[in-house]
Amino acid sequence: MTTSDALRNDLRSVKDLIDDRVEQDVFRVHKSIYNDPAIFDLELKRIFAKAWIYVCHESQVKRAGDYVATEIAHQPVFVMRTAKGGIAAYFDACAHRGARLTTGRTGHAPTITCRYHGWCFNTEGKCTKIQFEKLGWPDGLPRDFDPNLRPVPRVASYRGFIFASLDAAAESLESFLGKATCKVIDLLADQSPDGLEVLEGSIRYRMRANWKFQCENGADGYHVAAVHRNYAATVVYREQLEGPSLDPLKATEAGRILNRTGTATGSYDLGRGHMLNWSDRANPAAIPLYEREAQLLERFPPEHVRWMLRRGRVFTGFPNFLLNDVASTSIRIWRPISVNETELEAWCFAPVGESEKARAARIRKFEDFFFPSSLAVPDDVFAMEAAHQGNSATDLGWVRFARGYATVVSGADEPARSLGMEPDSSNTQGDSETVFGGFYRRWLGMMANGE
Amino acid sequence: MAVEPADDLLARATALLTLEAEYLDRRRWQDWLSLYTEDAVFWAPAWAGDETWTSDPQRQVSLIWADRLNLAARIFRVEGGDSFASVPLPLTVHLVTGIAVTSVAAETVEVRANWLVHSFLRISGAIVRAGRYEYGLRRAGAELKIVRKKVFIHDDAITGAIDFYNI
Repeated sequence: MTTSDALRNDLRSVKDLIDDRVEQDVFRVHKSIYNDPAIFDLELKRIFAKAWIYVCHESQVKRAGDYVATEIAHQPVFVMRTAKGGIAAYFDACAHRGARLTTGRTGHAPTITCRYHGWCFNTEGKCTKIQFEKLGWPDGLPRDFDPNLRPVPRVASYRGFIFASLDAAAESLESFLGKATCKVIDLLADQSPDGLEVLEGSIRYRMRANWKFQCENGADGYHVAAVHRNYAATVVYREQLEGPSLDPLKATEAGRILNRTGTATGSYDLGRGHMLNWSDRANPAAIPLYEREAQLLERFPPEHVRWMLRRGRVFTGFPNFLLNDVASTSIRIWRPISVNETELEAWCFAPVGESEKARAARIRKFEDFFFPSSLAVPDDVFAMEAAHQGNSATDLGWVRFARGYATVVSGADEPARSLGMEPDSSNTQGDSETVFGGFYRRWLGMMANGE
Repeated sequence: MAVEPADDLLARATALLTLEAEYLDRRRWQDWLSLYTEDAVFWAPAWAGDETWTSDPQRQVSLIWADRLNLAARIFRVEGGDSFASVPLPLTVHLVTGIAVTSVAAETVEVRANWLVHSFLRISGAIVRAGRYEYGLRRAGAELKIVRKKVFIHDDAITGAIDFYNI
């Protein structure tokens, strides 16, 4: 790697970027992790090219030939439903001279044709046609010329959520996620016997900030009452305009957002760098899943249903995906573009088979919060950009995550035990900063690998 | 396809769209809202594929699907003084062009137009976005009011916020 100023002058190695003395209630990260291009290059190689990266949901590739094009660690890839019904992921590059194959963000291509020289591939990645083959290669292709698409080394799905890894030696997906995270995903996937579906309607957006600010912001309960005070006040204002005719499903838990309802909250270091924030709902009737409570209670234990339906949850997955089940439900991913720019994308997902009324309410609530056109996400983006700008003051050295050490316990607390979940640590305050220790220890573990 | 309006409809529609742009750029929010009927819908669909937009707001997700109460709430949001993304607000310039009447009925007029909005903040510079508008206008006596505004946003790398004032 290039030795940057920060590493050369201040810090001996990447291990010195994290000051982990949690036994003394000290956990700090050096500000250069947000600003140093050399650190960013290393993150691409050691984190994004090694981890399992969320790529899409199975409902987005239903028919054979459906694909979603994306990237992992700046490598273009696409995920495809094969003719045999499986899920495959390929590098988005022709086996011949490497031209990009897909023509859009999403599409349908039962035969994948390279538009540059006309080679064709089937959904299993096998080359099915080489244009004018006999003229150019009368004796056939050289033996060591593989004409087939190059698969992404690993692809796997957990409960419909598809992940891929560029690292052939990566641990299993379930091991990467860990048992606690699998439980958190189960709370979503179990909401309908027919599974989940991602709804149509998407847009990509950008923040002029390092990608890790989205990891922090997702797990940061503390910012909500400040940054989303405006969201809460705006929806309360709208509900007042609506008057007494307000449908319960159109209500929003604004009071809880403002931390005024006294409902229980918590945050978990789930292990492996994954984090969960939760908050009991003050008004469960306001959520679209409420209509299914009786059915869910027939299928699952009451504590499990309580977690699904009566606790809002924000899950932040290492390194770059987020699953929300709060006012509405969303998947968000963020792709690092450069040390100071990040591309984000969000989708609404829903349990298959919910009522039309619940579906429409879920969509309106999603639009209220989760797009760059909403009443909330723009405020997050600007807050994260301000954090990025201010933390370019690397002369100041460190960011200290100091909040919540009085309320953290090792292992599971009572709500976690009720679900049979074993976090690394539990905090009875949802707005604590102790979860970031888990995230940055995982970050360091991957970054320091090889040193 | 443009149709040949029977009276001065095109001129009146053009005046209305120009006035709307002026109110937005001058932050005359209440004057802007008064151009809309009580049952108006402001709709910015999201991408559904690479060349198409969402078409069913009850089953697909839009960028903005706002009735008049929602528009009033969005005004409340930007006037509240505590929205990170709305303080300071960018200086906007709406360029609205290619205005054409596409159909005329007894009570309503359909109008299309192209838009380009230049949003400028001293602290972060300029953002330029463009797209198409489709309007439904209702005749109320001598007046035209907006009953439907559909905004197609030709962008898939949104920087900053998108809101009623900058699209």
